[in-house]
Amino acid sequence: MHIIVCVDDNLGMTFNRRRQSRDRVVRQRIAELTRDGVLWMNHYSARQFAREELPQLRLDEDFLSSAGAGEFCFVENEALTPWSSKIERIYLYRWNRRYPSDRKFDLNLEDGGWVLERSEDFPGFSHETITEEVYAR
Amino acid sequence: MMRKKVRLLAVLTALCLALSGCVSIQVFLPEDLFSDTSEDYVEQTESEVLLPEEDAKAAQGKDSATKDKSKGNQTREGTKKDSSQAEALYQFSLKDVPRFSNSPYVELNGNQPVFEDTTTTKAFETYSGLDKLGRCGVAFANICPELMPETDRAPIGLVKPSGWHSVKYDIVDGLYLFNRCHLIGYQLAGENANPCNLITGTRYLNVEGMLPFENMVGDYVKETGNHVLYRVTPVFVKKELVPRGVQMEAWSVEDEGEGICFNVWCYNNQPGVTIDYATGESALTKEKKDSSVVKTTYILNTKQKTFHLGSCSTLHSIKEENKKKCRSSREDLIAKGFKPCGTCKP
Repeated sequence: MHIIVCVDDNLGMTFNRRRQSRDRVVRQRIAELTRDGVLWMNHYSARQFAREELPQLRLDEDFLSSAGAGEFCFVENEALTPWSSKIERIYLYRWNRRYPSDRKFDLNLEDGGWVLERSEDFPGFSHETITEEVYAR
Repeated sequence: MMRKKVRLLAVLTALCLALSGCVSIQVFLPEDLFSDTSEDYVEQTESEVLLPEEDAKAAQGKDSATKDKSKGNQTREGTKKDSSQAEALYQFSLKDVPRFSNSPYVELNGNQPVFEDTTTTKAFETYSGLDKLGRCGVAFANICPELMPETDRAPIGLVKPSGWHSVKYDIVDGLYLFNRCHLIGYQLAGENANPCNLITGTRYLNVEGMLPFENMVGDYVKETGNHVLYRVTPVFVKKELVPRGVQMEAWSVEDEGEGICFNVWCYNNQPGVTIDYATGESALTKEKKDSSVVKTTYILNTKQKTFHLGSCSTLHSIKEENKKKCRSSREDLIAKGFKPCGTCKP
């Protein structure tokens, strides 16, 4: 499976059970990225999307278990280490901002056999510059 | 236009209150706690904190904020019904704050803020007047796009908050120990060189403590156009001139806290430096004077907040603009939030 995660400068994901940030441009890119595939997420994450515009969306609280090979998972508030061996590719969106966090991205990109395939900066709606990084094994 | 009127009213009334010295925040501690935040920090007893209703009145020039504290306490307790933990009464006390241990903030009251009215979409910003010692009080605003600035921040060097000292340490990011810390960050309400909005805060408080919360609120408001109730309360001990820290509370109005909800204490500490909060004097802590502390030249990845040995095989993957050479101890870098590289294991 391919996972999609948004992080701040400290690899934080959430604070007080809430996402650190959001941006409509990232949502558009996720929709485009997964258009021809399957996109899994939980109900919390789905609340920031217009579900009628995402026919590829699959909702499941245990979505990381349900997702199959080649399918996408948008992960905001789940630990990833238990699923490490199942992950084929990581799409990491960096806010390039520092937010408070109490849940962090828990995969080690520097020491886990991951290779940075590409990196692209783009302007967000509410974020000056967002960086998309794609890692593969 | 409306925004300018609100701001002008707030500044004028704050100045009037400053002259009359009627607004203050005080927390009473035993005398022997003045010199430092030590283990005894949690031993403090009675607290006396300016409350939101009083503050709003003060900023509107309607009432003294200190003559009506008992009523104010009731008000704050009463506001708890608006949060999701309505049954539990909450009143801030420094007793709730654990001793500083190189973490820039801790949550208070289960991260639930305590606002009286959590439904208002009226834009406002209020700043307490300075007290007799020239100290700031509560700053309270309903952050929304119309309050946010459209221009870059102007210099604020002429403002000297209570306890201000311009002092440098090599171990401090940016060298200067103290920053002029905005209570309501400029990015949120555009309030800049207002003395009632600026405290003497460490670089650590400013950048590691307060800024992440300001960023989170600011970006949320920009993205959604929603309102966020946002209150920052500096807490002084007795007649100390430098606050021990700030309480920060926020609540997103339109989505009833689903987007933004926090109640935290940010420490006005700086790892490696001991501060006399009574005066603002400071010195390196005893451990940092110890010559046995091993300093090494490391390469920092300022983007991913990692540090590496000069021989690390992963250095080539770090963009040049994110690299910074630094001579420091391993402990200091970790205290500043950097993680040791998993490859070269410095």
